[in-house]
Amino acid sequence: MARWRVGVDSGGTFTDVCLFDEEEGRVEVWKVSSTPDDPSRGIAQGVEEGMRRVAPEAGEQPGAPVAYFGHGTTVATNALIQHRGVRTGLVTTDGFRDLLEIGRQKRPDLYDMQADKPPTLVPRDLRLEVPERVRHTGEIDTPLDEDRMRAAARALREAGVKAVAVSFLYGFVRPEHEQRAVAILREEMPEAFISAGHKIAPEFREFERLSTVVLNAYLGPVMRRYIERLTPRLQSLGMTVAPHLTQSNGGVIGFSTAADMPVRTVLSGPSTGVVGAQAIGALAGFEDLITFDMGGTSTDVALLQGGQCKLTSEAVVHGYPIKAPMLDIHTVGAGGGSIAHVDAGGLLKVGPRSCGADPGPVCYDRGNTEPATTDANVVLQTLNPTHLLGGRMAVRQDLAKTAIGQLAEKLGLGVMETAQGILSVVTANMARAIRVISVQRGHDPRDYTLMAFGGAGPLHAARLAKELEMKRVLVPRNPGILCAMGLLLTDLRADFAATKLLTADAAAVPEVAAGFAQLGQRAAEWFGHEGIAPKARRLTRTADMRYQGQNYELAVPLPEGEITGETLRTLTEGFAEAHRQRYGFVAEGETVQIVTLRLEATGLVRKAELKAYPEAGPDAAGAITGQRPVWFPEAGDFVPTPIYSRDALQPGNRFAGPAIVEQMDTTTVVPPGMNARVDAYLNLILEVTA
Amino acid sequence: MSQALQAGTAPALDPITVEVIGAALSSIVEETGEALIRASYSTNIKERRDCSTALFNAAGETLCQAEHIPIHLGSFIGIIPHIMRRHAVEEMRPGDVFVGNDAYEGGGTHLPDIVLAEPIFVEGRIAAWTVNLAHHSDFADRGHAHIYQEGLRIPPVRLYRAGELQKDIQDLILLNCQVPHERLSDLRAQMAANRVGVQRFQALCGKYGTETVLAAGSALLDYAERKMRAGIAAIPDGTYAFEDAFDSPEIDGTLPFSLRVTVRGDGMALDFDGPDQMRAGLNMTYTALLATVYYAVKSVVDPTILPNAGLARPLTVTAREGSMLNCRHPAAVNGRLQACQRVSDMILGALAQAVPERVTACTNSTCTVASFIGSRKADGALWVYLETMGGGNGARASKDGLDGVHVHTTNTSNLPVEALEIEYPLTLLRYELVQDSGGTGRFRGGMGLRRVYRADEDCRVRIDTSRLHSRSWGLFGGGGGGHGAVECGPGVTFTGNTAALQAGQWFAIVSPGGGGYGPPERRAPEAVARDLAEGAITAATAREAYARTP
Repeated sequence: MARWRVGVDSGGTFTDVCLFDEEEGRVEVWKVSSTPDDPSRGIAQGVEEGMRRVAPEAGEQPGAPVAYFGHGTTVATNALIQHRGVRTGLVTTDGFRDLLEIGRQKRPDLYDMQADKPPTLVPRDLRLEVPERVRHTGEIDTPLDEDRMRAAARALREAGVKAVAVSFLYGFVRPEHEQRAVAILREEMPEAFISAGHKIAPEFREFERLSTVVLNAYLGPVMRRYIERLTPRLQSLGMTVAPHLTQSNGGVIGFSTAADMPVRTVLSGPSTGVVGAQAIGALAGFEDLITFDMGGTSTDVALLQGGQCKLTSEAVVHGYPIKAPMLDIHTVGAGGGSIAHVDAGGLLKVGPRSCGADPGPVCYDRGNTEPATTDANVVLQTLNPTHLLGGRMAVRQDLAKTAIGQLAEKLGLGVMETAQGILSVVTANMARAIRVISVQRGHDPRDYTLMAFGGAGPLHAARLAKELEMKRVLVPRNPGILCAMGLLLTDLRADFAATKLLTADAAAVPEVAAGFAQLGQRAAEWFGHEGIAPKARRLTRTADMRYQGQNYELAVPLPEGEITGETLRTLTEGFAEAHRQRYGFVAEGETVQIVTLRLEATGLVRKAELKAYPEAGPDAAGAITGQRPVWFPEAGDFVPTPIYSRDALQPGNRFAGPAIVEQMDTTTVVPPGMNARVDAYLNLILEVTA
Repeated sequence: MSQALQAGTAPALDPITVEVIGAALSSIVEETGEALIRASYSTNIKERRDCSTALFNAAGETLCQAEHIPIHLGSFIGIIPHIMRRHAVEEMRPGDVFVGNDAYEGGGTHLPDIVLAEPIFVEGRIAAWTVNLAHHSDFADRGHAHIYQEGLRIPPVRLYRAGELQKDIQDLILLNCQVPHERLSDLRAQMAANRVGVQRFQALCGKYGTETVLAAGSALLDYAERKMRAGIAAIPDGTYAFEDAFDSPEIDGTLPFSLRVTVRGDGMALDFDGPDQMRAGLNMTYTALLATVYYAVKSVVDPTILPNAGLARPLTVTAREGSMLNCRHPAAVNGRLQACQRVSDMILGALAQAVPERVTACTNSTCTVASFIGSRKADGALWVYLETMGGGNGARASKDGLDGVHVHTTNTSNLPVEALEIEYPLTLLRYELVQDSGGTGRFRGGMGLRRVYRADEDCRVRIDTSRLHSRSWGLFGGGGGGHGAVECGPGVTFTGNTAALQAGQWFAIVSPGGGGYGPPERRAPEAVARDLAEGAITAATAREAYARTP
């Protein structure tokens, strides 16, 4: 009987499978090596092995007991980073084929003359222009030259392109020309993947829209091929449910939608982690969270207020602007593998170079001699100085110490001070990343709980919290598989937007009402397409607003109910308050505009319900597996520190720092001045001693 | 009473605290910049980002400049000493905000760049300054015989006194502006930015202690100095001279500019000369020259050096007073960027003799500006639209130059076509790279841009640029870049660099290309084939410069 909900996070090194038994409320985890040449193999293998283990009764149909399948993927991201998309053509308004290359005409680095822009994804000879021109008012200045359009389609077919992007000026105001262009392309090249501006990103600012449409076309066939491979593999396991995939906005969509809009999945991986953090936070009773997902080479941070992560409608991802709903996740290229060095001016720097998994840090003894963040932790003995990965991997502390000693000499500091210094610099860099998503958006990190996950998150979280004066850190039970788990806790979600330039007063009521009615219609179609029952449908409305004359908007939520003059009044008041909070002033008497109406559609799915464990009392002594000296800067020395086994900690257990908590996939540091407790869901909660 | 805090009695700091506080200062100037752009109204700030932010210490030294527009540093380093000269520090109060733009009494580099500077008080004393600059696209359609024709001169005066708006001052400024509503809104955005700067710097002092933050600030200047010295020491000692000819549509013929760079040990001296200052808006104040030199030398020596006052210490910058490159009152300065760009390229040209692998061939050497002014049909209100265009960048020792980018002392965004046409009665007909404009070479110079405008209502346009006659030089056998041009549609005539446009008329501006690097005959055949396929070069160039038969 179908009672297993399965989440799969397919990463660069491992594919994590999280299996949840709906009846027992039990979570099982399975990990297999990823198969980067065709990730669907690793996924199918992981699901098969995991399911055979938990549901052997299914026999040769191990996928049959799967009631829900959710999947976070890096297929689109990797194709983008490695520039492995398909040969793509572009059709633009006459006079504007070079816009893709010119962009906003800024150079890639202000001072570094050797810096380059990311490669242009469509070479100039595959960027074709056709006569047509729509005005911003919607009037047609020049009708589409259909003969030239057909000639362009044929030329692209001759050139062997696999995908075509179409983006005309003001296509978002009046899409007929783009629609006609798409129809002609389909006639002339039925096999090609075609993306059009009005479908993919119907919003103002032609370059960012163009960039998004081109990326979508470039990634389209890659995503389509991936889904075409994965689907039959899952079916052959006997799985009958429709599989889902996470988008950059944290919601999941069906495979066919993902195949049409791959540009919406470029943050699929990290957004799944945020959703996992959101669910765990809600269970633990903390809704104002800053997530800190620190891995080997990169770190993702995000802010959740009231359990919600803000959506951005535009971001630059791997050098390319994308207009698509994305969780406001900030990524920095630093992690446990980042290399420490002394620069020409004599300051200690960590990163941006990373030693990666191979050769890895100095302590792995695989030939690297430049110390990484991990080496500093091994020297300080915050990480186990002899073995990592629950004893599976031996490390050489002596090598790490020698490497850091060489740095210490250049700095004129002691070895331990230098090792601690590496962590301080890492912490400062991470704090800067968190400032981007908190302080710079008007949020005070001190009001938030830091949720740490990823292999290196729990190791650095307490120091980071201290740097930002945050009072509390939450380390989930399984920090290494939070992303896979997030998939079991995710609703279906789609975002709909319409650009409508209106003055925000009572006269706008009919237009706003009509706009939302239209978005509601599109949402209803989507709900139907995804097969979501009427009672599981949720809609949230917001309006992007600004003072007339500004070009950046603030998102203001709409109150429930019918749209009336009162709604508009509430909106303008909400806008004034948001503007005051952000910029410190309200421009009395200035005209307020509505620019974009947004509708967020959520299809509630039954989520994995994690079971609370019974209280076992405060005494954590039973979980102590030993003791080792750990260097703490507060003491300026090694301090004898108890080592706790995460697996043995029970709900209700309490202990004071200094302490180290070890588990297979991570290590948590509890510094002096912090207390730790275990909650009913086995989360570890670190709090500053009152 | 207030007294500037001195960093002299500071605690000794470890390199790690310095690094951490340095990161915090960088995030403060980034945040203030973001607030300025997002709250602003004029297209020149909100879309083109023609603005900058910085923090200064109480002694008036740059602590940190955000990565916006290098030339704006000139106004920043100029204004603080002028504020100090005019206003007693002991009379300053929290919430005082000084406004200024003047080239001679305010340290500015041209009048549209209006600076707002606010002292940051910590524990009753001035600990630092938050400053920001917005290029207000106003003062259009002016004469440039001397600075009195160029717009309102504002010495640093209080726009706010202890948090109270000095409405008289504001009214005086606004009456002298062509688009007062935009000016007011952008000034408010500048206030919002300073507010962020004050709060964040005070919070930083609250956290680490004011003395520690100030000491870290001093240490960061020392650090930048050390890196600059280490970088200069790696350049072979010697004297490297370079000359170039300057041209502008404001003048007839060309003017000789020259430079001697002397590298000795870990110091560098740059001595410039040029013709006497002119009755044209092309003159550079000394602060404009300094900002230009700091930008260019940092780029060549070590682009990672922190942009603070420490990097200037190993540098000696001289130019004859009263010359175009170090002008005196009352020289006009509005188009000083054209000279700044040329000066930057001369520094590259001189240093190419010492460190050929670090420099580029000559960039497009200009910042191509088109400014429009008109009166709206609907209500008669004036509108002013300023656009600066990128061009080709110079080719490098191991790769081609970048196509169609801003170079050197500016780096503004373009105005999106869709924003342009919604805001102004203009239509952009084409925006494209210019074939054959990149200098030939083993590595090709970057291509220039062409922008074709149609007027939908009557208006006037003015073009500021350079290299209309001369070409950007190549290096080590590389060819010169294509020159800039103004192309006129039927009925359009430019008088000097201005023209009246009637509704329906069009004209085009072409920005120059960058110079090539290395002899063209050494260019890889596949690179020539790709250039040909992509239309970066013509078949004739493939044949004649690269000896390739298409």
